[in-house]
Amino acid sequence: MATSDEKLADLHRPSEILDTLKRLDFGVAIAVPDSWLGEILVQIEAEPKIKLIRATHEEEALAIACGSRLGGVRTAMFVQNAGLLSMGAGMVSLAQRYQFPLLMLVSYRGTVDDPVFYHVPKGRVTEPVLKGIGLSYAIADRHRPLGPQVERAATYAEEASCPFALLLSQEDVQW
Amino acid sequence: MVNETRASRAEYYKVLADKLPPNALVVTSLGNASYLWAAMHHAPENFYFEDAMGLALPLALGLAVAQPKRPVFVVEGDGALMMHMGSLVTIGAVAPGNLTVLLIQNGVHAASGGQALTSSKLDLAALARAAGIGRAENVATPQAFASAMGTPPMGDGARFLVLSTRPDVEVVRPPIAFDPVLTKHRFMEALGMPRYVPTMFGGGRLGGE
Repeated sequence: MATSDEKLADLHRPSEILDTLKRLDFGVAIAVPDSWLGEILVQIEAEPKIKLIRATHEEEALAIACGSRLGGVRTAMFVQNAGLLSMGAGMVSLAQRYQFPLLMLVSYRGTVDDPVFYHVPKGRVTEPVLKGIGLSYAIADRHRPLGPQVERAATYAEEASCPFALLLSQEDVQW
Repeated sequence: MVNETRASRAEYYKVLADKLPPNALVVTSLGNASYLWAAMHHAPENFYFEDAMGLALPLALGLAVAQPKRPVFVVEGDGALMMHMGSLVTIGAVAPGNLTVLLIQNGVHAASGGQALTSSKLDLAALARAAGIGRAENVATPQAFASAMGTPPMGDGARFLVLSTRPDVEVVRPPIAFDPVLTKHRFMEALGMPRYVPTMFGGGRLGGE
């Protein structure tokens, strides 16, 4: 009998993200890539039911996502945590002020699992900044399947009418 | 391009109100872009920005993608455009044929009192064309704007009209409450958008289940 860890090892975690978005009828994804996000975006681009928009800046991506959700389409964002740091004004004065439910799937760089010298400064401040601007978030638990965690994050965003950031590791999101 | 005999924002707005297609959605930037439009043509299909300078264009892009059958008009200022010029590139790449950008070029930060822009004399239509927006033109007068508004709003890619406008730094008092959540709900309800049904009521999806 397989252990739960062995079962988990069978799951391709980035596929869980994509499968969950499809099952929950997400129609638009807005992205600013990094090296972990590159391939999952290619996969999304090939999905006929999800429109991928590649934005030039994360705050711009946030506003596009607000517009798409305003238009009645469930919308996800794919950005690096650097993008969370650079979208602060739009987050508080647009997304939070108008209460847009958005699922933000975030590559969490610069943690102890990703000690790249230039990512570390971003990793160190990410959670304090999220707390400071009042952005609800969770760190994906690598010991549990990812699909249900993505669904709960999406549900939280809708039930609370706010953006919600799920912080993802390399294993979670790099295809 | 700015010219010497610039019309007022209100003169352009009168044309917009007269020529607006009946099923249009309108997004207006912060300041008088929203306050004056609310005073002249309040409708549930208006989405008013209160702040978030520079984000009206990208929000309108997302809206145009989500509502491809409705013409979407967005009023943005030249100062706000400069804050997120990359949005021109994204609009050029996505090329939504139902999006019309009305760019108020007044050469100043009017909403904050008329401070000088970094650059006030750019050819913004040329800039939009360089970013991939083919239907871009500078509009010098309300009459020229009326003529442009007489053409079908839907086309090949987004339309970008740069309106040479006199600065208006006197704040217009809007006739309605500017409550952001009310603005959003009024807008979505007018469009008959699906409502999210909470999980407690057996939902968990947009439109219920």
